[in-house]
Amino acid sequence: MSPIAFNGTAVEQNEEGFLVDPSVWNEELAVVLAKAEEGLDQLTDDHWSVIRFIRNHFNESGNAPMVRSMCKGTGVPLKRIYELFPSGPAKGACKLAGLPKPDGCV
Amino acid sequence: MPELDELESRLDALVEGDFQRGLEVFRSKLKEAEASYLNSCVHCGLCASSCHYHRADATLENVPAHKLDVIAAVFKRNFTAMGRVAPGLVGARTFDREMAKAWVDAVFGRCSLCGRCSINCTIGIAMPRIFRAARAALGAMGLTPSDLQATVDNSLQHGNNMAITQEDWVETVQWIEEELQMEVDDPEAKLPLDKKGAKILFTVNPREPKFFPLSLQASAKVFWAAKEDWTLSSDPGWDLTNYGLFNCKDDEAGAITQNLVDAMERLGCKTLVIGECGHGYGAARWEGPEWLQKSYPFEIKSILELMDDYLREGRIHVDPSKNTVPVTLHDPCNLVRHGGICEAQRRVLRKSVTTFTEMTPNRAENFCCGGGGGQLSMARYKNRRIQSGGVKAGQIKDTGAKIVVAPCHNCIDQLMELNKEYKLNVQIKTVAEMVADAIVTTA
Amino acid sequence: MRLLVLASAIWTILAMAFLHHKTKGFGKRTLFSKPAGSPRKGALYAFTRGMAPWAKESVMLNLPSYVAGMAFHAGVFSAFGLMCLALLGFELPFFLLVIAQVFTLLGAIGGLSLFVKRIVKAELRGLSCPDDFVSNLLSTAFALLAFLWTLVPSMESLWLAEGALLLIYAPIGKIRHCLFFFTTRYHLGAFFGRRGTFPPEGNSHA
Ligand code: SF4
Ligand code: SF4
Repeated sequence: MSPIAFNGTAVEQNEEGFLVDPSVWNEELAVVLAKAEEGLDQLTDDHWSVIRFIRNHFNESGNAPMVRSMCKGTGVPLKRIYELFPSGPAKGACKLAGLPKPDGCV
Repeated sequence: MPELDELESRLDALVEGDFQRGLEVFRSKLKEAEASYLNSCVHCGLCASSCHYHRADATLENVPAHKLDVIAAVFKRNFTAMGRVAPGLVGARTFDREMAKAWVDAVFGRCSLCGRCSINCTIGIAMPRIFRAARAALGAMGLTPSDLQATVDNSLQHGNNMAITQEDWVETVQWIEEELQMEVDDPEAKLPLDKKGAKILFTVNPREPKFFPLSLQASAKVFWAAKEDWTLSSDPGWDLTNYGLFNCKDDEAGAITQNLVDAMERLGCKTLVIGECGHGYGAARWEGPEWLQKSYPFEIKSILELMDDYLREGRIHVDPSKNTVPVTLHDPCNLVRHGGICEAQRRVLRKSVTTFTEMTPNRAENFCCGGGGGQLSMARYKNRRIQSGGVKAGQIKDTGAKIVVAPCHNCIDQLMELNKEYKLNVQIKTVAEMVADAIVTTA
Repeated sequence: MRLLVLASAIWTILAMAFLHHKTKGFGKRTLFSKPAGSPRKGALYAFTRGMAPWAKESVMLNLPSYVAGMAFHAGVFSAFGLMCLALLGFELPFFLLVIAQVFTLLGAIGGLSLFVKRIVKAELRGLSCPDDFVSNLLSTAFALLAFLWTLVPSMESLWLAEGALLLIYAPIGKIRHCLFFFTTRYHLGAFFGRRGTFPPEGNSHA
């Protein structure tokens, strides 16, 4: 996949659009990813609280949180999370939060 | 790509001993059936269009016989008289770096081990058996794509393929139990954990607790309605997946299967029930006993068979008018063609929805969604995965259905991507989710 | 010439027996999973309904090749029948001879058309090795010469010599599929039969 242009630098994504180097992530990049990967023009407060929650969890523990903790930690109901991120919590939300692709059937 | 370079550099670093080891492992996987397969291809080329890779991109590399041929060429060179005497005549090739590359590309990069070519082959070559032997050989040479291997390693180290901690798993089960109790308005609705002596041990795909717990809730609702005596396990026996089926390292695959066997023993259950997952069913039901070299001392079933039983025996009742959106059904290769579970899900669906349209072709003739064979985990081949999935996308579109039911979490993930990529505008659900929505309680 | 053909036939049989023996030498797989269906019924299906053109999408999509291939095989087998009779000095009744002529001629045409297809179609050419061409030519020529022999009996030596060559080559190249077709198809049927996929219950094309 060709790198995504961001602030005059090229940010590398893997074949599936996940960041090759999660540490380059910041919130402006999330906006760019949201448009490019999920077709989201606007990120609402709900989007942001999920994305920030996932990112904080990742910074602390190095992996993606369970969807249960996403709901609990943000107060966003489960069904709403699926609506917010068309590709779901893994290929949608975690991708926008700059996490590497989770292993498993995703 | 770091990962791309990584496999490339592993290929470049191969030494003579690696090829020898690869050949030995390859040879060790062959029995008379496979030896017969490797002597059989007549290069008629009729298998080409049976493969979804070739349907989507008609190149020589995507012809099943060509994938078979790169393997057979090495087999001939090393294990047949003519291949040694006149390699040029019969198309025999030495196993060198170039051939190893061709093997990787053929069996990891262009095959989902779906077996659709097997039944369409003029002769009847069960090709995935050969491709699996080749994957095993490449594994012994250190050439398993690293993200596929990482998924297996997760299972080996953490007892499930997403590295979910026991605490997270148990908390999610409790959470879903609360959700279920609210849904059915019954404080006695339970997701029992570690219930010794329960009749059924139910297993799920880690994707459910991690990201998509509604399917677990749906299965639990069906058990609740059927008043089933069931349990989940808190130890690694809860995860039905086994990517050892795809990296084809039988010892690793066997170790993962052992988790299920241990849980059955620990909890003393009678029937091991595999949730909706094609490869998980194939691995646990069919390959597990072969990896472990012993028969199970318990019964093993798919939840699809169980739901079929419930409906037939009148243990649950459904009202199809609760599901009026047109539905079609996807046939996961490892569940249907390779698994033999074909009609149960159809009987269940016909009772649970008003409009059910088959894809064409279907059942054992179905097309792979493109995500099988471990493709979902191998990022490097993503573009081919999406492209080859175009065949399935076309089939779905032709049905006009708005809900695609897929009794496999692996397929579901691929179908979700196809949904987005090919703008299908469908919902993707499990069979249990459809049944759960249609359940009527007569109380 | 008779002796040559006889010797070639003995070679073919011995070589095929050896190939079969070698394959068997890989050993049977002991299976531990509980069967869901019957390997025997699966094999039976694989050799009968499972081979019917309408049961196989690959056939329905390639009908001309299928017809050519069928004619080719029928032609070569008729030619073999003719050769056996000729060697035994047995004269065919007229109407059977006409049938044999039709079969061998159509067989030669089928073989030739498949040969041309293999050259013309890039993908098939890419799939081919020299053996594919040799095997086809030897078989096509055999059917063609059989046909010509029925018209020009003096061609017998040429035809029989070609037949001997075909017999000698058979186990060397892909014509060995006259043995492996049966073992492979048996294993396929047994595999899917055991898993309960063969014979299928429903109609997968509807
Ligand atoms: S097993 Fe499936 S993916 Fe692999 S070559 Fe055959 S048809 Fe194609
Ligand atoms: S259909 Fe079978 S025999 Fe023909 S080319 Fe394909 S694999 Fe070979």
